[in-house]
Amino acid sequence: MLPTFILILRIHLVNMAYYFIRWIVFWLLLIVASAVYADKSQPLHTVAGTPRAPEFSLKDINGKLFRLADYKGKVVIVNFWTTWCPPCRFELPSMERAYQLFKKQDIEILAINVGEDVDTIFTFTVDYPVSFPLLMDLDSKVINDYPVIGLPTTYVIDTEGRLVYRAIGTREWDDSRLVEKILELKK
Amino acid sequence: MHYQNRLVIGAVVIVIHFLLPAAALSAEGRVLTGTDDDAQLPFWEWRNEAMSLRLVQRLPDQTRAFFMARGFSKEHAEIIAQSCIFQTVYKNVSTAARPSVIEYDLRQWKVLYKGKALPLKTKEVWQVEWEKANAAQAVQIAFLWSLIPTQQRYQPQDYNWGMTSYNLPPGEKFDLQLVWQQDGERRTATIQDIECAPDIHPDPENPFG
Repeated sequence: MLPTFILILRIHLVNMAYYFIRWIVFWLLLIVASAVYADKSQPLHTVAGTPRAPEFSLKDINGKLFRLADYKGKVVIVNFWTTWCPPCRFELPSMERAYQLFKKQDIEILAINVGEDVDTIFTFTVDYPVSFPLLMDLDSKVINDYPVIGLPTTYVIDTEGRLVYRAIGTREWDDSRLVEKILELKK
Repeated sequence: MHYQNRLVIGAVVIVIHFLLPAAALSAEGRVLTGTDDDAQLPFWEWRNEAMSLRLVQRLPDQTRAFFMARGFSKEHAEIIAQSCIFQTVYKNVSTAARPSVIEYDLRQWKVLYKGKALPLKTKEVWQVEWEKANAAQAVQIAFLWSLIPTQQRYQPQDYNWGMTSYNLPPGEKFDLQLVWQQDGERRTATIQDIECAPDIHPDPENPFG
């Protein structure tokens, strides 16, 4: 009788240990999966005090004048970039994909090139075609008016003309969580 | 072995594979060295759970070509090329799950060279030189934005990519003492035996040979 009881108890304990290990492994995998997912997040950071976006008027590579004031009431993404800055180049394709989504929502993207001439930018667009305006800040006055100290830097301006979000470095602009965060500014 | 046991052992191996490197990084940080995949040149990288700083050699010839293409005279491009320039990627690698804020000021960093502690040559120091040399405005703009910011504050996943200059002759070795604030706490680290790129002129037929 006793050996049978010990055998049943042993089987029971082994089963319990097995299920316990499975439970631990499940939660560890869940933690790892969350960490990997979080690593791929594309954060936009809130700008302290949400100051008013400095006004500007700049020409694009076709000579057309763009004024920030003309976008009053719209969400505007302002990106500062150069052709020789590798991370600036990395994010342009995703920014173009995002632009295709955003333009249906009346959200604008203005990419301000710092200090380069028409020919340089035009040649660059052969390899990096984009359909949003490429504006030229030839004397770097506009970038100096904005709180920018490294390239690329991107600001998101809300419908009231305030700087609400900032990204330093590349982002995947068509990432669904990032797109959602920008679309929320329209509500 | 029962297939379920194999499954559990496999899962444990996967977990260890992910968790051990993370645990190692969360300690005091470490230095990685090797050949940068993109540049095919040596790199030195310091990284912990929140910050990574990668310095990739730039050949003086690359620097000459880059700045002459941006309008610098041959003479001025030569001055930059002889100043030990590194391509630099400074990143806040922390995640939303464990966010950190990284702040630095390059003026606090030290170049340890032949028993002396020297400052980096920051964009402000260069700017004074270019103004004295009457360099064109467009040239100065290109130069200043191509350098890593002297001071910066990075939130999770923020980063800059630019050049840093150490004001040493090509081929010289030095140690770099880093200083930064991580979540308000002052941290320091030293990367040893960094080597300025030698002033070689690669054979176009065999650039890496």
